[in-house]
Amino acid sequence: MNLLAIETTGAKASVAIIDENKQIWEEHCDETLNHLRLLMPMIERLLRKCKLKIEDIDGIAVSEGPGSFTGIRIGISTAKALAQALNLDIVCVPTLKTFAYSVPEEKRILCPIFDARRSQVYAGAYVWKNSETCMQLVADGAYVLDDFLEQIKLVMKETSSMELLFFGDGILPYKNKIEEWTNHQNGIDFGLTVSFAPEELCFQKASSVAALGYELWEKGNAQNLFQIKPVYLRQAEAQRKLEEAEAKRRTVHE
Amino acid sequence: MKDGKWITMGIESSCDETSVAILQEGRTVLSNVISSQIKVHQVFGGVVPEIASRHHLDNINGVLKQALEEAQVTLKDVDVIGVTYGPGLVGALLIGLATAKGIAFAMKKPLVGVHHIQGHISANYIEHADLEPPFLALVVSGGHTHIVDVRGYNEYEVLGRTRDDAAGEAFDKVARVLGLGYPGGPKIDKIAKEGNPQAVEFKRVYLGKGSLDFSFSGIKTGVLNYLNAEKQRGREINPADVAASFQQAVMEVIVNKAILAAKTHDKKKIVLAGGVAANSRLREMLSYECKREGIDLYAPSPILCTDNAAMIACAAYYKYQEGLLDDLTLDAYPNLPL
Repeated sequence: MNLLAIETTGAKASVAIIDENKQIWEEHCDETLNHLRLLMPMIERLLRKCKLKIEDIDGIAVSEGPGSFTGIRIGISTAKALAQALNLDIVCVPTLKTFAYSVPEEKRILCPIFDARRSQVYAGAYVWKNSETCMQLVADGAYVLDDFLEQIKLVMKETSSMELLFFGDGILPYKNKIEEWTNHQNGIDFGLTVSFAPEELCFQKASSVAALGYELWEKGNAQNLFQIKPVYLRQAEAQRKLEEAEAKRRTVHE
Repeated sequence: MKDGKWITMGIESSCDETSVAILQEGRTVLSNVISSQIKVHQVFGGVVPEIASRHHLDNINGVLKQALEEAQVTLKDVDVIGVTYGPGLVGALLIGLATAKGIAFAMKKPLVGVHHIQGHISANYIEHADLEPPFLALVVSGGHTHIVDVRGYNEYEVLGRTRDDAAGEAFDKVARVLGLGYPGGPKIDKIAKEGNPQAVEFKRVYLGKGSLDFSFSGIKTGVLNYLNAEKQRGREINPADVAASFQQAVMEVIVNKAILAAKTHDKKKIVLAGGVAANSRLREMLSYECKREGIDLYAPSPILCTDNAAMIACAAYYKYQEGLLDDLTLDAYPNLPL
């Protein structure tokens, strides 16, 4: 079993292969936002490194989003084309969860946040149970940071964990706000600790997509290429404006 | 190869049509599947790039599957894969490109990037079995207005181009102000048949004697000014007359420049291409003038005028014949020059 993992949703693209012994090989590129040009040659290099042929690949794991819309599409269309040519199934891997999945510890609530611009973050919250399952606590979504933190507060009560770990490029613009919020909470109810992951844990990685993809594959989550969908978590801007205008018209009529 | 014949696959996704085609021996269409998004974009009054990209991604593999099935070939039979790499909407182009590259790599097939305009011109090789370069090509579409000296299958010189709006763009904009909806080309063509092309005198812009360049941004303003002036005078306008007069003004300039280019560059053949090549008035006027000047006119049938992958496959076949191949680093170029 060789699973090829594709990660193009962030600034840097990478690809990885995981085998049945869960050994992982990775190729990445330091050049940013040039995924279309770099992706196929990177896959070629990775196969050479592993001494494999493309025919030795048994399945494809693709990072499904959220992230850059264009990046998501490059990864998914490449995955679908390879699957169509080679008659393979695809497993879609939730991009936010790959971050939590790469830190298998039970103590902290794991909170990947990506800068989604327009004053929002793509975010979700996870916790590991019995060092086996990475459970979702707050659903992946596009949130205003304050709303996301409110959700975290609710689940903290249920999980009785008072430690949070934030990851992702959302830290850069929102670190101060998160710290302010922490201090404010501690003013009311002491004991909350917040930490920020080191930079190497803050970027999308195909090796994490491969690891989580392998687990999802084993659990029977592989799909036919015609079933898979990207996860944008946000409508196209023009669509949103159109629906807003329609809603406004409806209220005027009423 | 199938039955000893070359098989070319074409992929096109530069704007709002997702298309995959299979050609035999470069000119015979075995399949040409086109999934159009016109209805999706109609509510927005034009193509929305992000929405177009999303639809391309959802549709392309089904279109590809259908193209293979209709042509009764498998990916193994395909000898070369051609794909549009520009110009066009970058987010739309990359769906076709990523797909073409994935298939080419997995199946170990040669890859050829095709210029969209070269594709439009090549649509004529499919339509007319006897057509060969050299000739003069007039490419008129929503994104392009070009007069091209075609010296060989892969040898082009642009003699004239629009300096602002493409002809099709002017059609879309005027259709919008007349309340005809999107896409403007076919709507104006249709309503103009009921109107008088001499009713309103819109200015013809020639950009100086002998120039083969175009400018269509002024005429759109001309139409707007006319509509406002009539409204202020309290006069009712006849959209059919306005459409017919606008169309007449645009086509007169295009036809005159095409004929001038043919004469000055000693060309006996004019080849019409692009979405606006389906316009009935353009065909009528150009065919009349060509006959008068002793020039042979070639034009594709309407289905080959719209964006389609058969024309891309045809162009790819001739590039492949000359060894003009691309590797897996092939990128999308939204403003690719011809």
